Amino acid sequence: METLDEIRRYAMRRLEAVYDEKELADLQAEVFGKSGKLTSILRTMGKLSKEERAKTGAEVNLTKQELEAALSDRREALRLKAQAARFIAEAVDVTEPGVQTVPMGHLHPMTQTYRTIRDALIGMGFTMFDGPEIELDENNFTLLNLPPDHPARDMQDTFYIDDNVLLRTHTSPCEIRALKTLKPPFRLIMPGRVFRVDEVDASHSPVFMQIEGFVVDRNINIANLKGTLDTFIHAVFGDDVNTRLRPSYFPFTEPSAELDMSCTICGGKGCRVCKGTGWIELLGCGITNPHELENCGLDPMEWSAFAFGVGVDRVTNLKYGITDIRHNYENDARFLGQF
Amino acid sequence: MKLPKKWLCDYVDFNVSDDEFIRRMMWRGFELASADPLLPDISGVITGRIERIERHPNATKLQVCTVNLGDRETCILTNATNVFEGAVVPVAVVGAVIRGTEYKVANLRGVDSYGMFCSGEELAISDADYPGAEVDGILILNPNTPIGIDIAVALDMDDVVFDFDLTPNRPDCNSIIGLAREAAAALGQAMKTPEIPHFSDDGDASSYAGVRIDAPDLCSRYCGRVMTDIKIEPSPRWMQKRLLSVGMRPINNIVDITNYVLVEYGHPMHAFDLACLKDGQIIVRRAAQGEKVSTLDGKTFTMDEDMLLIADPEKGVGIAGVMGGLNSEIAPSTRAVLFESAVFVGSNIRKTARRLHQVTDAAARFIKGVEPVNAYLALERAIQLVTELKAGKVVGETIDVCTADLNPRCANVDVSHINRILNTKLSASKMSELLKPLAIEAVPCGDKLALTIPHFRTDIESGIEADWDIAEEVGRCYGFDNIPAEPITGPAFLGSIPKVFRLEDRALDTLVSCGCMEMYNFNFIGPAELKALRLDEGDEKLLAVKILNPFGEDQSLMRTTLYPGMLESCRRNLNFKTGHGRFMELGNVHLDNNAVLPEERRMVGIAVFGDNESFFTLKGIVERLLLAFGVDNASFTAGGGRYFHPGRRAVIRVGDTYIGEMGQAHPDTLKDFDISVPVYMAELSFKALCKVEHVVRGFVPMPRFPVVQRDIAVTCRESVTSAELAEVIRNVKIGLIIENVELFDVYRGVGILPGFKSMAYSFTLRAEDHTLSDDEIKHAMDAVILSLSQSGAALRI
Repeated sequence: METLDEIRRYAMRRLEAVYDEKELADLQAEVFGKSGKLTSILRTMGKLSKEERAKTGAEVNLTKQELEAALSDRREALRLKAQAARFIAEAVDVTEPGVQTVPMGHLHPMTQTYRTIRDALIGMGFTMFDGPEIELDENNFTLLNLPPDHPARDMQDTFYIDDNVLLRTHTSPCEIRALKTLKPPFRLIMPGRVFRVDEVDASHSPVFMQIEGFVVDRNINIANLKGTLDTFIHAVFGDDVNTRLRPSYFPFTEPSAELDMSCTICGGKGCRVCKGTGWIELLGCGITNPHELENCGLDPMEWSAFAFGVGVDRVTNLKYGITDIRHNYENDARFLGQF
Repeated sequence: MKLPKKWLCDYVDFNVSDDEFIRRMMWRGFELASADPLLPDISGVITGRIERIERHPNATKLQVCTVNLGDRETCILTNATNVFEGAVVPVAVVGAVIRGTEYKVANLRGVDSYGMFCSGEELAISDADYPGAEVDGILILNPNTPIGIDIAVALDMDDVVFDFDLTPNRPDCNSIIGLAREAAAALGQAMKTPEIPHFSDDGDASSYAGVRIDAPDLCSRYCGRVMTDIKIEPSPRWMQKRLLSVGMRPINNIVDITNYVLVEYGHPMHAFDLACLKDGQIIVRRAAQGEKVSTLDGKTFTMDEDMLLIADPEKGVGIAGVMGGLNSEIAPSTRAVLFESAVFVGSNIRKTARRLHQVTDAAARFIKGVEPVNAYLALERAIQLVTELKAGKVVGETIDVCTADLNPRCANVDVSHINRILNTKLSASKMSELLKPLAIEAVPCGDKLALTIPHFRTDIESGIEADWDIAEEVGRCYGFDNIPAEPITGPAFLGSIPKVFRLEDRALDTLVSCGCMEMYNFNFIGPAELKALRLDEGDEKLLAVKILNPFGEDQSLMRTTLYPGMLESCRRNLNFKTGHGRFMELGNVHLDNNAVLPEERRMVGIAVFGDNESFFTLKGIVERLLLAFGVDNASFTAGGGRYFHPGRRAVIRVGDTYIGEMGQAHPDTLKDFDISVPVYMAELSFKALCKVEHVVRGFVPMPRFPVVQRDIAVTCRESVTSAELAEVIRNVKIGLIIENVELFDVYRGVGILPGFKSMAYSFTLRAEDHTLSDDEIKHAMDAVILSLSQSGAALRI
């Protein structure tokens, strides 16, 4: 018959050698089981005197608690060891690519530019208005102070459907539609596609996109035009760009101007893109010609307006450094995926 | 408009740098197109005199020349045979650069050459630029040419030609004097306006020539001048050089004078050989239908009744404003001339020139607009030149047939209104001062300016527009740059994006979240592309709007559907071997419905291709889009256009509203687009989407009692649709809530009869107010099985 101390020492020695859960269970049965060593000692206790029984019982309990704790520690150590081994086996190469359940979609860069411009203007109290791509000659030219045979009609080579119907050459006919249907004052953004008989090359496309800005109110002046344009140019190109308003001519504005922006490529020092001038021509604008207002039934002495037309293609290409307008209409996924 | 600096200096003192001049002109609205030296891309070439010529010790064909460059002597070798001792020649010295090539010391067979002599060809000049420039060999300069000076100076080609892009409102600046007037104002000086003496003699011009205008509506002034004792010879070199500097070819003294005046005054003139005009009589009349005229360039044109003809009593002698006639051309034998300086209506000349495809330099100027006072002044200038050049003798007075109003136009403009337009605070006298250099006389008169508009400013109106016209002039003289930017004042506006535009964003953003890339295709398609869609007769997609003047047949129609453009772009992407693609486009199509304007429809197009794509991946995208518009009850019924696979196409509706269609593109259609892999495409009406859009956001409590999920598999005939069976399950009436009915598997093959399929559905059961008992669930399942079997779907065992 082993003594309690022998059992304790035996169990502790065995525990150190145990290397898996099964051996641990076996040892547990050998020591604590129904016919285990500790149980055997307890069984002999019936023969002992009351005092000895209490003493031995206390000793056995103490040993039991000690061994149980050691067993539990050993079990936890074994669990951690096994888990560590599993983690190693399950390790992945974290540099392998992630799984894309849906491919990445992309808005066309021109849509992104359009939204940037639009959102800047909405913030200045503008709302939106629309007109058709196929227009009446009257709206596209005549009412915009470009009567038939006006030499300035040659500025915009036109696709015709018949004598009176054409593909709009600019978004300005939307001004006529707005003047005829809306009650001033108003501030409008009018986006859309426009068409000109331009052979396709790196900087020309027969189809392109414009945004017309149009403000009709009681005391509109050149300073307002400048302020509005500056705000939206800075929204699109950042606060670092400079602008200048240079006199020009459009039949539907007077005074007319072109807005130049400091070259975004060279920062104004002069480069190939700005042809060494440091400036890039961005858009045409001006105070609305009184004849246009009159043609639409507004008294130009009471109402005043300014308008501007900006090429979305041009802004997009400058913003992203796109060197050829043709990319915008070829829909090459390798192009679209960049934006 | 080309503006040679030397010519400009006849009228202004050029007192700033070229860059500063260009900058000041820009601020006045004159944009520079280019500024090129007359002798471009040449530097470091100077004149030198050959003092001695010796033979090369080691080469028979080379000569060793000692050249005097003024401040030094140098040694230059040449194999040219036309050089001689004492010859003054152009020398490209060491360091000279000609068209990018730099000249260095060259050792030729043991002797160093410090540069080389230049031929006319190397300097890119012709005999017209300098006599002898085209000889074979070195350019031999005039022996009096100073030594050591720049070759451009020696050739009298040290000039810069500015080229300004003119705006259509300033035809007066399509001339040297017009631009000089603006230049003088820009440079802050008064323009030097030389007096042109009026020449006349005692002769009677009317005994030589006469002018009658039969079409005063098309010709408001015709000035003529008779010159006799004409001696046709080349014009002087200074005149030839100026014509060359603006790109005109010298011909003879009389023609050159008309061209010179055209450039200088901007008014087109013509000279007739008086002997070729029957009785010297000019009649300005409309042409007879079919009347033929041969012009100076040897072409013959058939005129119509809308065209204006210059005729004598027998025949046409010129197409008014376009080109003179061959039959009255100035020839070496010409002894008497009639000069024409007339005003023709631009719109009529435009029509004629376009119809005859003869938009000549003269026609272009009439189209842009000329005016009657300048017509007279130009003629005076021409007579002065004829007299100065001793090319002929003027006879009598000017023949002047004129119905135009020659009085200066006047206008009153409102100073405070102009200040309101410009947001300035300029006084009337300040404005007057700003306008003075432009020859606009403005007399302050209270808050008004009384204007006298100079004859050449046809763009300034005297009526209501005058305030704006003058605001523009004051603005550009004051400087737009001096007007500070300001926000719009007044009551605040609510900025907003109307719903239809927000829904556009939503459609695009949803499709982007489905992995689509956005396309922008042209609106132009061709008949071949419509044919490839194999449309049924009567299909509205055939109602394409035709463009009258397209680039070509293949771009002659406005698209009636987005498919052709999208397929074309898919093909291009397939060529790039991108393999997989998901694309969308939001764009307009047009249908010719015989209305005033064609019907414009905004469409959403989707196209997908690649290994993992199918009818159902596309349908998934369409469903997602519909869901984004709050639509979860769209119906997809078999059908659609003939450009689809007949078994894989669907028409999409919401209730009674037609939304669009989708399907797998028909292989024959794809073949016509040169595509060999399946493409799945859809086209939805954006207007219809907006109409059915119905997003309701509101809270519904989550179920409080557990849901039970059950699966069921049934077999049915192929003709039974998934949607039908799902509807059957959903509609079983057992007092429980049946939800989330979803098809999760379709099986055909072993164990299933041919013509049948197995359909497996999952769904959930629950009650509003208690946990379902086993009995209730069994009862429900029995009811579902019964309903399905009554619909031709038997429980699969």
